[in-house]
Amino acid sequence: MQLVSPTRWGWIWTLRALLVLALASAYLAVEREGNAYLKRLAILFLINLMLVTSLNLFTGFTGVFSLGHVGFMALGAYVSAILTLPVAQKAVNLPDLPAPLASLALPFLPALLLGGSAAAIVSLLIGVPTLRLSGHFVAVATLGFLIITHVVLINAEAFTRGTRTFSGVPPYTTLGWAALWAALNLYFAWRLKHSSLGLQLMAARDDPWGARGVGVDIARTRLIAFGVSAFFTGVAGGLWAHFLTAFSPNAFYFSKTFEIVVMMIVGGMGSVTGSALGTLLVMVSTEVLRNLESGLSIGSLTFGPLYGLSQIGLAVLLILLITFRRQGLLGDRELRLEAIAERLELWLEKWKAALEISRARKADPS
Amino acid sequence: MRPLHRWSALVLVFLMTLAACQPAAAPPATPTAPAPPAPAATPGATATPGTQGPIRIGAPFNLTGGLASIDVPAANGARLAAEEINAAGGVLGRPIELLIRDTKTDPATAATVVTQLIEQDKVVAVIGFTDSDYVLAAGPICQRAGIPFITVGATSPRLPGQVGDMLFLAPFGDNVQAAVGAEFAFERFGKTAYLLWDKGAEYTTVLAKYFKARFTELGGTIVLEDTYQSGDKDFSAQIAKVKALPQQPSFYYISALPDDVGTIVKQFRNAGITGPIVGGDGYDTPLLLQVAGPAAENVFFTTHSMLTADSPNEQVRKFVAAYKQKYGTEPEAVFAALGYDTVYILAEAIQRAGSTDGQAIKRALESLRDFQVVTGVINYSPQSHIPQKGVTVIEVKGGKFTLAAEQVPQKVPTP
Repeated sequence: MQLVSPTRWGWIWTLRALLVLALASAYLAVEREGNAYLKRLAILFLINLMLVTSLNLFTGFTGVFSLGHVGFMALGAYVSAILTLPVAQKAVNLPDLPAPLASLALPFLPALLLGGSAAAIVSLLIGVPTLRLSGHFVAVATLGFLIITHVVLINAEAFTRGTRTFSGVPPYTTLGWAALWAALNLYFAWRLKHSSLGLQLMAARDDPWGARGVGVDIARTRLIAFGVSAFFTGVAGGLWAHFLTAFSPNAFYFSKTFEIVVMMIVGGMGSVTGSALGTLLVMVSTEVLRNLESGLSIGSLTFGPLYGLSQIGLAVLLILLITFRRQGLLGDRELRLEAIAERLELWLEKWKAALEISRARKADPS
Repeated sequence: MRPLHRWSALVLVFLMTLAACQPAAAPPATPTAPAPPAPAATPGATATPGTQGPIRIGAPFNLTGGLASIDVPAANGARLAAEEINAAGGVLGRPIELLIRDTKTDPATAATVVTQLIEQDKVVAVIGFTDSDYVLAAGPICQRAGIPFITVGATSPRLPGQVGDMLFLAPFGDNVQAAVGAEFAFERFGKTAYLLWDKGAEYTTVLAKYFKARFTELGGTIVLEDTYQSGDKDFSAQIAKVKALPQQPSFYYISALPDDVGTIVKQFRNAGITGPIVGGDGYDTPLLLQVAGPAAENVFFTTHSMLTADSPNEQVRKFVAAYKQKYGTEPEAVFAALGYDTVYILAEAIQRAGSTDGQAIKRALESLRDFQVVTGVINYSPQSHIPQKGVTVIEVKGGKFTLAAEQVPQKVPTP
């Protein structure tokens, strides 16, 4: 990076400024235009983005598959929702709540942080034994965690109302909150990937024996990644809970797990920008197809309602992707502004050269 | 890395853009509005629907996924009613346009779809859903927008309290059908009962709770209580416990979801348990007869209506015939009739309100009295958004659903 020419830096900063401006105007457009539907989609996108990025932060960087992350999401959701539920609502909905919780209603931020912390603490507890395993065994062990979480949620009736819907959660999640946390999550994941810890994780992923040989403590580094990833997943769960305001344990189970895993695989395992691309592609295609479901007419042709089109479309997309591009859109590479700037510059130079040649020809038509 | 001041310059640019655009902005939306029940709607939130063109009604249903087996008939019933109303001249001289949308048995999709219906499609009211999870996800959105919402089949009696005053139920509450189940079985079979419920769903848990409350209040005893988890395929553990009882109870109350009903009944019968099995409207599915076959004899369940082509009720006969003509089959589930009724209830309310304003429709619904529909008589009031309808008890006899009783509970457990 030190060898980058000053003009290149100019380009990079221009691109950065453009990106920031684009994000800012997108935020403002959605926030101010007042279309609640678009706003909902944007918030849902940001929450899914957090879930995918934090899953990728662990699974992509370490190569160890976790199917239990939705369990952390559930923990974050229930913990933060119990903490923010107004006291009057608690008396009605959760009459058996233990005393200190029953008379407590926290603001949003501390509740989110506590929800995330609860998920992180649990992840460390289960991480110590399960991360000693490797490969597919971790996937099975974390799947076990997901099932245990589900059963606990159903049976801890005093805290969660069991299978019955947990409702009346204040709708605190705004676009601003979601954007803030998603940005934080992306930034963290990005920095982690390019830190020495990230390099250690990826070294251990690509060659465990080699990594151990140069002194990487695989279990410790993986545990840290697991904890950070669980924290952000828990926060995303809290945001989701305060976005939907009513949910039951069934919301945090296999279908949500598959949804997130699909988004991660589409984007590319181990890529932060890939997480964003994957989430965007999956959500946009589902939403576009869903809007076509209720009927469509092209000229004189009318296609009747085709319910289920979006699920089929998504499945086809996934099959095509796995057949032709197994590593996902980006693999574990990143979309880097530096690289884009380099290409732009090269292209510009070529263009300039071409221009000069033609000018030279004009000046000397012999 | 480059010096930090470049980044701070960017952040500054971002903040300045924000600031520059802020004054022009409308006061920020208040997403921290109080949780439901919220105060009456702000009419400004809903674009005033025109007085020309069709009256648009949102109809979100779970047409794919786990609830499709009952939501598809419900949506079909609603579509049939809308077509009939339009053929007869519409409402307020305008046709009804029913916007049926699939919510994929996913609460987050349900919330998104309902928002889209209200914001983009400018619907004047919403009907739909047969399960409370989805009503609780979508209801608060209608409540905040001041759009009336009638649920087609969610039967939890606590819903209006949880969502707010824009929510109405087309069916009776679970406490009503559980009370009828308890009273009917207490009189007909005796004072002892076995109680089994699915703890994986709100509906089955709540139904069992209300049954127990009413049955013990009548002086009955529950000799054994047990649970299972929806999707279980093997009930031998539960059956072994029943068989170990010193004396078999007078009947077995089993609160189950449509998908599990047939399996449970069949396994109980195969184990030699022949006593009457009683349940709720989850039994009202063709699956009961298809899966359990002859084992389904001596099964009783409470439901919304008995939909047969030879019903003594003329309205039921007409509905079954019309449904059969349109879809080529008799109504697959009673939710078809509830979907049909819901559209008629809403159309009547809009007609009486004389306008498509949310508050006007809500007031018209609240003053609806003795309105006859397929599944009974609808009475709403400002205090009660759940109709006090009669409950139908069906008996499986000779491989067919036959009418066992139609009754109103003497006493209803408090929600």
